[in-house]
Amino acid sequence: MSEQVQQESVSVATGETLVEVNELKTYYDEGAILDSNPVKAVDGVNFEIKRGETLGLVGESGCGKTTLGRTLIQLESATSGEVLFDGTDVTELSGAELKNWRRNSQMVFQDPESSLNDRMTVGEIIREPLDVHDWNDPKERRARVRELLDVVGLQPEHYYRYPHQFSGGQRQRIGIARALALEPEFVVLDEPVSALDVSVQAQILNLLEDLQDEFGLTYLFIAHDLSVVRHICDRVAVMYLGNVMELGATEEIFQDPKNPYTHSLLSAIPEPDPTSDKERITLRGTPPSPRDPPKGCPFTTRCPMKIRPEKYQNVDPDLWVAIEVFREVLRERSRAEKTLTEQAKELLGMETRFSDIGEIRRELFGDLDVPREVEAHLDRAAEHVKNNEDAEARKVLRDEFGSICDAENPANHVVSDSGRISHCHRHLPEYTEPDEFTPYTER
Amino acid sequence: MSIDPDSEELSLRERVSENPGPAMKWFAGALLLFALEAGAVVNFVTGLFGPGVELPTLLSRDVISNLGYQNPDTGVWQGTFMGLSPAYAWALRVLLIYTYAAVCAWWLWRGYLVFREHYRYADWTPRDDMIDRLRGHRWGQFGAVIVFAFVVMALFAPALGPTTVERTISNPYSYHVEFYNESGQLDNVTVGQANLGARSQGTPDQNVGPMEYDEFGRFHPFGTMPTGKDMFTFMAAGARISLFIGLVSIGVSGLIAVAFALLTAYYKGLIDLAVVIAGDSIMSLPRLLFVMLLTVVLGNHWIGEIYSGGFLLALIFAATGWPFLWRAVRGPAMQVAEQEWIDAAKSFGQRPSVTMRKHMAPYILGYLLVYASMSLGGIIIAVAHISFIPGVMIVLVVTAFNALGDGIRDAIDPQSETGEGEGAEVAAAGGGGA
Repeated sequence: MSEQVQQESVSVATGETLVEVNELKTYYDEGAILDSNPVKAVDGVNFEIKRGETLGLVGESGCGKTTLGRTLIQLESATSGEVLFDGTDVTELSGAELKNWRRNSQMVFQDPESSLNDRMTVGEIIREPLDVHDWNDPKERRARVRELLDVVGLQPEHYYRYPHQFSGGQRQRIGIARALALEPEFVVLDEPVSALDVSVQAQILNLLEDLQDEFGLTYLFIAHDLSVVRHICDRVAVMYLGNVMELGATEEIFQDPKNPYTHSLLSAIPEPDPTSDKERITLRGTPPSPRDPPKGCPFTTRCPMKIRPEKYQNVDPDLWVAIEVFREVLRERSRAEKTLTEQAKELLGMETRFSDIGEIRRELFGDLDVPREVEAHLDRAAEHVKNNEDAEARKVLRDEFGSICDAENPANHVVSDSGRISHCHRHLPEYTEPDEFTPYTER
Repeated sequence: MSIDPDSEELSLRERVSENPGPAMKWFAGALLLFALEAGAVVNFVTGLFGPGVELPTLLSRDVISNLGYQNPDTGVWQGTFMGLSPAYAWALRVLLIYTYAAVCAWWLWRGYLVFREHYRYADWTPRDDMIDRLRGHRWGQFGAVIVFAFVVMALFAPALGPTTVERTISNPYSYHVEFYNESGQLDNVTVGQANLGARSQGTPDQNVGPMEYDEFGRFHPFGTMPTGKDMFTFMAAGARISLFIGLVSIGVSGLIAVAFALLTAYYKGLIDLAVVIAGDSIMSLPRLLFVMLLTVVLGNHWIGEIYSGGFLLALIFAATGWPFLWRAVRGPAMQVAEQEWIDAAKSFGQRPSVTMRKHMAPYILGYLLVYASMSLGGIIIAVAHISFIPGVMIVLVVTAFNALGDGIRDAIDPQSETGEGEGAEVAAAGGGGA
């Protein structure tokens, strides 16, 4: 069944570009009076969506995928970059033009409990977009609502019911009917099934696929459930920390991931076979704060395949991990806010919670055999930290142990014949490709 | 859900002109009811701007008089309505007034039923559910009955009192009472002198308690005050002023509070900050002193003329009271502004004003009703400095307004199936089954 549906929806794609996103950035909390360090939720994203296709957008929580979806339909205003919809930059629209354009792009929300106003009847909810755009006359609007109820698998009698009388799956159907009321071309599906029971998920996904075939819709499907994405999407974009790390045809990416982040993300899918001895790549730590993303590659702080400087190629993996963790600790320290008392204590040369660098070193390197050369650099960094020169300390470590991954944001390399792109320095000719490279920790 | 698809598109006017019978009958009845009391309405409206125009009305004290004197030999009352004793004449007038008010209320309800039966395009709308929920809400109905009684008392205050404010409070020495003195002669004193003889001092020999006559043949339903003036007349007149000021000020401050709550929750940022600062500044002032100051400063303004300064006082209470209501609804407004249906409304281009009214206001109305009905008590007590209602009445009225507020709040929320507790709610939810 799923195979068949997939083929059908692929055949809808005509190859013509509907949405084109260029260097799109969406920042929050800009221009605060004291601290203008915005959250870089979407930080320079490029892709396009073909008419009639389903583009999946996956990534872990907080990577900016929902913000990206909301920016595409102008629920958030973009900080820079453009969103071309049939060639028109919609980030520039306002007033009547914007309102008129809104008919073309709608959204199905994640939480059916919160996306419907419980004080309105189902009929009023679905009718509202039609009223807003003065669609035909009231009689035809009512008829249209009944037709939409039928299309999404509800009864016309439900017109006068209230949302709280429906189950989660039925509520989501109401939300879908509302999104379809104005016959949009483009629909953003923001995790439309993640709040539903598994049995209901399949029904809603099938409904969405049927509607796509029937009305020639173009979907941006935001999800973190990878199996759902594999089921419904033609192409997939993998997001991490506001950047698209890899983008290409769904099956290609699932069969043969190129980007290190995609590798680790896909390795997290549970195998139904208990005897399978697939290696799971467990990522160290948590994603960095989007207020302060790393210089260079966004994934550099956690990448299991991060490029090492030539002379440290054969360093003991445990020691290398310890060095990376040490750098991360310093980065977190400089992000942590110092209270006034702590600043005063620092000025007076007193002990603060930040000054126990010796202890950190003992904990990280105590059991390890640290070569003299490495030791020397660690000493220099520790000395800077003691003098409260955290930036200097980080520079010392970056200069010695850093690589291109810490210095430059990777380009989008084309990595397959179908035009798949991947955001990683390892695709440069001088480095080993990620899929040929065995992570140091697994050697 | 049988809806005639042809009739649902006509406007109300067209539907009425198609079948004018029931509507005309209802309007005739309404007109008749209004005609009985039209004079009082004219009097009140003109009275806002000076001495009111006097027109005869059916339910006035002139028609059913309770002022008269009793012949000590025959026991016959003279001057009262059909020779009844003042107590019965007064009771008859009260009964008629409440009957009239009840008939008016019933006629309005009938009007709604006529509309529902003959002129509404759908035979069911969400409002029917609201009414059904209110029908099962005993606590709300209790409030509605008391509030109705109180409002009628305020509306008909001049006709309800056994005497008038003018006669007993404002100019007691310009009016006279006739009575038979001890020697059996028809005598005649000023109301002021009579009042001095009817003082209530709490001692058995100098007291006029509830439902008693004084020496001058005057009936006092609630007894007299220490000054000898009729308590019920005071109370009815005070109820009118308290209710007018209370409702106007709560209405105005409620409007301001809701408007600001919606605007600050929807737009956030600078507007929010500005309203917070404005509200906090007002709240930081000692309220009673500030109210007195404004009353004096604005006393000579033309607004001060309306309703003898009552309207001004209402506006002053509203201007100093809205931050308290706004504080109460700001949190709920912020909460509802984060709901996804607000985003959904934005995503199809709904106007912000409509979004606030349709998608946010219904959710904060419940909170507002509760807080407003509670603040109403405070305003009535504050106004009691200049008007007068006994403490028991304040308790009753404030409780009733709270109960009615509760009832309305439950009625407008489709998720509270009835007001009759958890069990009924579960049963109704089960029955609703979808």
